[in-house]
Amino acid sequence: MENVIEVQGLAKSFGHREALRGIDFEIPRGSVFGVIGPNGAGKTTAMRCLLDIIRPTAGQVRVLGTDPRRAGPEIRRRIGYLPGELALERRITGRRMMDHFAAISGPVAPGRVEELASRLGLELDRQSRKLSKGNKQKLGLVQAFMHDPELLILDEPTSGLDPLMQREFLGMVEDARGRGQTLFLSSHLIGEIEQAADRVAILRDGLIVRTATVQELRAGARRRLRVLAATDPETLAAALEPLPGLELLDTEKLGEGVGALEARFSGEVGALLHALAGVEVLDLVLEEPDLEEAVLELYGSLPGNGRHRAGEPRP
Amino acid sequence: MTPAARRPVLPLMGKALLDTWRSTLVWALVLLSVLALYLPLYPSMAGPEMERLLASLPEELISALDYDQIATGAGYAQATFFGLLGFMLSSAVAIGTGAAAIGGDEDEGLLELTLAHGVTRTQVVLERSLALLLRMAFLMMVIYAGVLALNGPSELGLDPGTLVQAVAQFLLLVLLGGTAALLGGAAGGHRTHGTAAGALVAVGGYMLNALGNQGEDLQWMHAFSPYHWALGGQPVANGVDWSALWGLAGLNVLFVALAVFALRRRDVGGA
Repeated sequence: MENVIEVQGLAKSFGHREALRGIDFEIPRGSVFGVIGPNGAGKTTAMRCLLDIIRPTAGQVRVLGTDPRRAGPEIRRRIGYLPGELALERRITGRRMMDHFAAISGPVAPGRVEELASRLGLELDRQSRKLSKGNKQKLGLVQAFMHDPELLILDEPTSGLDPLMQREFLGMVEDARGRGQTLFLSSHLIGEIEQAADRVAILRDGLIVRTATVQELRAGARRRLRVLAATDPETLAAALEPLPGLELLDTEKLGEGVGALEARFSGEVGALLHALAGVEVLDLVLEEPDLEEAVLELYGSLPGNGRHRAGEPRP
Repeated sequence: MTPAARRPVLPLMGKALLDTWRSTLVWALVLLSVLALYLPLYPSMAGPEMERLLASLPEELISALDYDQIATGAGYAQATFFGLLGFMLSSAVAIGTGAAAIGGDEDEGLLELTLAHGVTRTQVVLERSLALLLRMAFLMMVIYAGVLALNGPSELGLDPGTLVQAVAQFLLLVLLGGTAALLGGAAGGHRTHGTAAGALVAVGGYMLNALGNQGEDLQWMHAFSPYHWALGGQPVANGVDWSALWGLAGLNVLFVALAVFALRRRDVGGA
C-alpha cells in the first residue's frame, strides 16, 4: 500500500538537546497512526518536521511523496494541521479566522465550516479571546478538518476537550478514515486515541521504543487477577505460579478450605483457565488490561526510569 | 479536486491591513494633532523673536537639532515636525509594525499555524512588508494633507510639489526603521529583536546626524546616517535628492530580501 508519510532516521537537535534521536515509521494511506509519549518525548518535534516548520538535523522525510523541505504550498493545502500548543488570534471571531485560513489553504466546501462547528457545538461568531480552552481547541480542529485534506496531522487533538467532545472527535476521525483520509495523531494518554488508531508508536526520549497495533499492546498488557477457590492458598499458588506471565502479589486464607490469590497476569487466558481446571473456583476476576500502565512501563516514566535509553534493560 | 478555487489576492497583506486599521487611524489623528500644535506657531515665532531665541541657544544645540534653517517656513516645518516629532512618531509606528510582522507573530505562536497552511515563507515576508509599506504610505498621505491644509493659515509658504517629494523621501526614511525591525524579527524570531534592530537604525541614524553636525572633523558620520541622507538636504525646501531616495529605497529592499533569506533558512517556533 502507498505510504502517505515515510520517515527514516529522523533526528533533530536544538543546540545540545536531542529532541529526536533517529526514528523510523511509515503511515499507509487511509490509516490512522498514533504516537504516544510523555511531554518532551519528541512528538511535537516530529510533527513540526513533517510540516517544514522546523528542519531535521538528519534523516529522510517524505510527506505525500515529497520532501517537506522542498514542498510548496500546494502540498500543505492537502494537509490539515493542529499544533500542540494552539495559539489563536484574540480579537477575531471564529468565522473570520476560518475565512482567513480558507483563503490561504482552501478550497473549503460551502457549509463545511458550519457543519463541523455544529458537530462540535462551537459558536463561530464569538471573539476567540472569549472562548474557553476547549472551544479554542474546537476552532483548531475545524481549521484542520475544514478543507477535507488527504492527510491530517493532529498534535494532542483531544487536549482540553470534555469526554463528550472527545467522543465526537473520535467520530470525526472515523468519518475521515471512511473517506480515505490519513490521520497522524499524538497524545500522552493512550486511552484518548486507542479507539481511533490502527497502529501506535510509543516515543520516549526521542526514540520509538515500540510500534504495535492496539490489540498487540493490549495482549501484552498486564491484567489484575483475583481468584477465590475452595482450596488452601498454597495449593492455589502452586497451581498458578508456573504460568508464564503471572506475577504473584498476595495470597490469603479466608477460612477453612477457602483461599484467595491476587496476581498480575499478562499471559494467555487459555493457559490460565487450563491451570485452574483442577481447582474448584468460587470466584474469578480478570480485569481489563491496563493499557495506560503498559505504556507507562514502555516509556519508563515510572519513577527513576526517566533517563533510561531504549537499548538498556529496564527493571 | 479544485472546484473553481478563487483565491483572494494577497490574503496575508489584506489581513495585516485589516487587523491594524483602527490603530492606523489613531496614529493618523496623533500625527495631525502634532502638526496642528506646531505649524500654527510659525507666524508668531518668525521674525525678531526667533532671532533672539536662536541667539540665546548654544550653537551646538542648534546644529544638533538642525535648527539653523528654522527661520524659514520650510526649515521650520522640517525642524519641528519632519526632523523631530514626526520622525519619532512615524518611526515608532513603522518599527512596531515591522517587529510585529514576523517576530511578534512568532512570539504569540501564530506564525507556526500560518506556515502550516498553503503559503510560503517568502510570501509571508513579502506580503507583510507590503502591508507595512501601505500603512506608512497612508500615514504619509495624511501628513501631506495636514501640512498642506496648514500651509496657508500658518504662512509657511511651502510648494505642494516640493512637499510631495519631501514626504516621499521621509516615507522611505521611516520605512527603513520598519524594514529593519521586520528583518530583526525574521532573523531572531522575537519581537524584541525586531524592536532593537529598528530602534538601532532609527535612533542610530539620528545620533550620527546630530554628531556629524558638530563640526568638520565629525562630518564623516553623515555618510552613515540614513536620517542625514533623507533630511540633510532640506527636502521640504529643496525637494527630492535622487541619490538619497534611491539609497533609502535600495536599503529597504535589501532589508526585506535579507528577511526572506533569514526566515527561509531557520526553524520557526524555537526549541
